[in-house]
Amino acid sequence: MKALTIAGLNLRRMFRVRSNIFFVIIMPMMLILLLGSMFGGTSSPRIGVVDGSNGVLSADMLERINPDDELTIEAFDDEDSLVNAVSKGRASAGLIIPSNYDKELKSGNSVSVRFIARPDTGGTQLLASVNRAISGQTEIIRAEIFVARELDISPEDTVVIVRDVAATVSRVEVRSRTEGEAVFGDDISQFDLGSSSQLLLFIFLASLTGSAALVETRRFGVSRRMLSTPTRISTILLGEATGRFAIAIMQGLIIMLGSALLFGVTWGNPIAAAAVMASFSLVGAGAGMLIGSIASNDQQASSIGLGLGLGMAAIGGSMVPLEIFPETFRKIAHVTPHAWGNDAFAELLQRGGSFQDVIDEIGVLLAYAFVLLTAAIFALRRALTR
Amino acid sequence: MSNHISTSNVLECSGLQKTFNGNVAVKDVGFHIDAGETYGLLGPNGAGKTTCISMICGILQRDSGDITVCGEPLDIGSVTAKSSIGFVPQDLALYPDLSARENMMFFARLYGLSKTTLRRRVDEVIELVGLTERADDQATEYSGGMKRRLNIGIGLLHEPKLLILDEPTVGVDPQSRNAILESIQRLSSEGMAVLYTTHYMEEAQRLCDRIGIIDRGELRAEGSQRELVSLVGERDKIRLESASGLESASTALRGLNGIVEAAVENEGLSLIVDDARSLLPQIIAKVAESGAVITNVAVTEPDLETVFLHLTGRALRD
Repeated sequence: MKALTIAGLNLRRMFRVRSNIFFVIIMPMMLILLLGSMFGGTSSPRIGVVDGSNGVLSADMLERINPDDELTIEAFDDEDSLVNAVSKGRASAGLIIPSNYDKELKSGNSVSVRFIARPDTGGTQLLASVNRAISGQTEIIRAEIFVARELDISPEDTVVIVRDVAATVSRVEVRSRTEGEAVFGDDISQFDLGSSSQLLLFIFLASLTGSAALVETRRFGVSRRMLSTPTRISTILLGEATGRFAIAIMQGLIIMLGSALLFGVTWGNPIAAAAVMASFSLVGAGAGMLIGSIASNDQQASSIGLGLGLGMAAIGGSMVPLEIFPETFRKIAHVTPHAWGNDAFAELLQRGGSFQDVIDEIGVLLAYAFVLLTAAIFALRRALTR
Repeated sequence: MSNHISTSNVLECSGLQKTFNGNVAVKDVGFHIDAGETYGLLGPNGAGKTTCISMICGILQRDSGDITVCGEPLDIGSVTAKSSIGFVPQDLALYPDLSARENMMFFARLYGLSKTTLRRRVDEVIELVGLTERADDQATEYSGGMKRRLNIGIGLLHEPKLLILDEPTVGVDPQSRNAILESIQRLSSEGMAVLYTTHYMEEAQRLCDRIGIIDRGELRAEGSQRELVSLVGERDKIRLESASGLESASTALRGLNGIVEAAVENEGLSLIVDDARSLLPQIIAKVAESGAVITNVAVTEPDLETVFLHLTGRALRD
């Protein structure tokens, strides 16, 4: 009961500071939203077009670029506004069709279409689509010219013949298959990845920066005064550890429930997800208590907490997914508890894993927690009684 | 007070010893305090008072020695013995971001007060220390005196049989200091045993039934004020003030017949002498020879300051 009194006071003091409400509740949600918007989503690429020709063939070509309506084609009045839109990122690429496009093609002459894109992979992919569409269109037109010359028939009849033949000619079919699993599964939502990585980052960060409160308790002399009351030292240590754990798990719950309600994040198997989060919270509690027991002042504890919290999150894949790094780096990353936590959530969120599938990761996290909490209890006991 | 004091000896300690990194902080200290008695530990800063108190409160592991509180042996893990102790540390030991009421509620729970008595007792103590009107304000907004009173109030929550105060008036304005001393006298008269450490001689003289003089970790003498002063005998204390040259004057005077002790403190030279009247002319002459210019001379009856000087060879506030 006394341990809960100490733990409850820790939690109350944490949420009494208004800035903590921002860092614990608002900031994680903002980051999840930001990451989800940046790296996820289903918005289609946008191609800007200045169609100087406004003819049947230019319209046909644009239809060929976008046969399944997967792209958004937006008309622009002039080249300058199109270039501006592409350079500012409002359009993924731009296409300038000259005024003589229809006329020159029908005459069998060459004509140039200009393509504008930023130097990234999105532009290259769109260029391939444009090239494919133009090739398809010019093949037909060449065939029409050839037929008109050889059979000496009217252009209208030529079009009918060529289109009929084209419809019956067998095409070369390219069959593709995939090997292995996608780095990020198709059924993962745009917020899932960000939510799990931010969960681990913020649990650890809240635990570590919260260690300053423990330093304060020591510095104020409250810890020693607690020891003068009829309260066993083991109860005080348990209370402080429970307080750190309560802060960590509160942070985890806020992110889990908040992201589920606001962004529809599905955390997979709920028991397994809760177990991973609780295990990681214990790790955070141990680390926070250790820093709070050995740091000589609250500024030092905050600095160490912030540095370690961000550094370990970066190495452990809570800022950039570990999947995109080489194997050697991924192995090194598993020195951090974050990497194990991220592995567990990847299994639950991306592959629909069960509790059994993440039991190894939970075991490793509990081992981390045991080592850190033991060291922290030893350090705090020493700090209180020396 | 609802607690009934069943034994006369509330605190008994003997052979207390503590060493830090090879340096002896407390050496073979022992004393006892009866119910309703105020015992003062008088000594300069660094004498070992706080170390003694920390061991007696069970927050510092002692190297050797025995402590019993109300007949219960006390150690760091002794819950029963600690339930009889109210501890008021030298530095403010409370959460400044919590109100007086919240601080008291927290410690009252740690002292094991039941739910039914907790709120009533907190209200009583808040009133006792005069914080009723500001009880729900954050402690950080309190004046120094109010914080001190809150610090003391926390130690009284569970109506302890033994109240231990470690220099509770340091940095307190005279008005608050007087209020604190009056409260302690009242608690003592109601039967509470009080252990009080100070380096202010006046406080020890006003409050304490018995005084232990501690220096360099050792208890040099113990007794009532009258008993301690009698250790000095029929001697007098002379205090000379001078802007400079006191060290050389002190050295010169030590060779003079009838000078028992000579110590330089606070821009003055304190002397314990056998007979002030007859020695004063010789003393003034010697000081003049040493080059010091006397600006003031005072001859007083022996007091605890004199006793300390006599016992340790140095002034209380060195």
